[in-house]
Amino acid sequence: MRILVIEDEPKVAQALEEGLTAEHYDVVLATTGEEGFFRLAAEAFDLVLLDLMLPGRDGLEILSTMRRRGMVSPVLVLTARDAVEDRVAGLDRGADDYLVKPFAFPELLARMRALVRRGRPDQVLRLQAADLEMDLISRTVTRGDEALELTPREFQLLEYLMRNHPRVVAREMLAREVWKETNRGAVVDNLIDVHIARLRKKVDQDRPLKLIHTVRGVGFVLREGQP
Amino acid sequence: MRLQRTAGSLRARLTAWSAVVIGTVLVVYTGGVFLFLRASLFEELDRQLHDEVDLSAAALSRLGDGRVARLGGSASGPEQIGYGLDVWNLDGALLYSEGSEAPNLPRPGAAAFQSELERVETIRSASSSAFRARSARVQLDGLPVLLRVARPEEPLLDELYEFLVAAALGLPAAVGLACLGGYFLAGRALAPVGKMAARARTITAERLSERLPIENSHDELGRLGTVFNDTLARLERSFDSLRRFTADAAHELRTPLTALRSVGEVALGESSTSVAPETVGSMLEEVDRLSTLVDALLMLSRAEGGHVAVRAERFELRELACDAAEYLDVLATERGQRITVGGAEAAWVRADRQIVRQAVLNVLDNAIKHSPHGTGIRIVVGRAADEAVLEIIDEGPGIPSEHRERVFERFYRIDTARSRETGGAGLGLSISQWAIRANGGSIEVDDATSNGTCLRIRLPLDEPGSGTESARQQHAAPSDIRH
Repeated sequence: MRILVIEDEPKVAQALEEGLTAEHYDVVLATTGEEGFFRLAAEAFDLVLLDLMLPGRDGLEILSTMRRRGMVSPVLVLTARDAVEDRVAGLDRGADDYLVKPFAFPELLARMRALVRRGRPDQVLRLQAADLEMDLISRTVTRGDEALELTPREFQLLEYLMRNHPRVVAREMLAREVWKETNRGAVVDNLIDVHIARLRKKVDQDRPLKLIHTVRGVGFVLREGQP
Repeated sequence: MRLQRTAGSLRARLTAWSAVVIGTVLVVYTGGVFLFLRASLFEELDRQLHDEVDLSAAALSRLGDGRVARLGGSASGPEQIGYGLDVWNLDGALLYSEGSEAPNLPRPGAAAFQSELERVETIRSASSSAFRARSARVQLDGLPVLLRVARPEEPLLDELYEFLVAAALGLPAAVGLACLGGYFLAGRALAPVGKMAARARTITAERLSERLPIENSHDELGRLGTVFNDTLARLERSFDSLRRFTADAAHELRTPLTALRSVGEVALGESSTSVAPETVGSMLEEVDRLSTLVDALLMLSRAEGGHVAVRAERFELRELACDAAEYLDVLATERGQRITVGGAEAAWVRADRQIVRQAVLNVLDNAIKHSPHGTGIRIVVGRAADEAVLEIIDEGPGIPSEHRERVFERFYRIDTARSRETGGAGLGLSISQWAIRANGGSIEVDDATSNGTCLRIRLPLDEPGSGTESARQQHAAPSDIRH
């Protein structure tokens, strides 16, 4: 899968290239608006990561030109401008999604996956990780032979972790997707911590194989073995 | 109130000053007129005496026996009354006299006999009334004699006295009128000051774009107002640039933070052994804290610049309180605390529910964090006058009274050590305060509480009568249960 990253900040660009390559994406890097524009004109990409503030050619301008010329690759805008007007302007000009800097890398990956599989219905009815199983129709969770009693919020949280399993989910993602908060504040952080602790108690307590792990400074992950 | 009083006393002072000035001018003027009147009256009398001396010199003649007599017989008639004429030879012997007052007049002094010139002087009669006397040396048929004509000064003095009486009566009346006029004029002149003061009082840091009203930019008050407005404009500009600086700084900090975060997270994701996950994780935690801080700063500077849209809707405050309590109940349960929501009345408000909810959550979260294990936290919703009131009362250590005003300031910490471990950048309450103010309300720490903290949020009530149709149907409670 070919990804074009248009980002002028060298360290961010390099980190994106490294991280995305590690996730088995084929990454092409453009560090100016001009370069990105010529790349787009010459090759086809499955996804474009576009920084809005670029030297040379403004990100929004690239976006408009792309859409005017009928290029349909999904575009994920990365921006430090989070004012509402900028978001609207970006989406109006044909961006498919946006992330506000500084974004969490796991969230970037999740958004990219969502954009790439867009249009394909999500037909999963059962989720499984090791001996942990979740039935989305009967809304029940079992670990081994034992049924787990979860509150609705704990269920949502576990579902989100299992859907992303074995990838790391950032706090921002939990705040937005599970708690439906547009801004992640200290209050939500506390709620996440408490719920993770409770969930961990129900899922992992007294079992040799721990499934829920904390990745310090990044977020949480549900996976077998070490994080 | 104080400004008002100062303006009032300024008015009184201006009135007093104008009265003093006008009074002085009138006194001096009256004095001048008096002197002029006196001088001209005397001059007229003197001229009359001079004419009489000349006429008498022509009318008198020397008889053979050395006596002197008026040609055509002695004068008589009413003009003789209040008048005296006498003729002396140079040796001092009286040669002739006529007029009713002549016997009362004193003899001319030695100086009069020696003087070659005409003399005018005031003399006193035997009854000590003042006479104006004119004496001149004339030749009566070759004989040099001293001829004197005298007339009383009394009618003249009477006239001057009447003038003084009229002036003394008129002057206070004139000064009184001047006072009234001065008071009226000063009031008119100072009226713009009152308006300016009233407007100036409404200008706060949040409303620096307002200006003083100026009626005439060319008069003194207009110039003062203009200068004040210029100062306000400069103040507004510097506030703006401070805000812009905060926003720009916060904005610019995001780029390096993005780099730090991406580099760290990618490094952690790789299964290489070249990085110590604990170290990178710890750094990422700090990056996270910085990002939260930058977000909060940006949010505040944007809010203060008025760039955050407030979308008002009608909602019930107790319902919001229940929602917030339920949302954070899990945090309280963790600490063995109980949150209860009280208040019997529904309190409808019109505000941005999202923003108000965030503020209530912040305050409630604070209360949970700072209350000891096993205590209770009460949320009480009620109404006071035309305001909806939401109180969050905890049984924590409370806020010392000297900090109560300042807890809403940015980065303000009561106890540095304690706040550090409970986290937060010290902006939560600032943001809450902005949130409530942006919705036309206020937030304060109750002064009266001695144990625990009572945080009170007030929002303007939105009565059913003023609400939308659907809201009116939802809420059919009578509106007369106000305190």
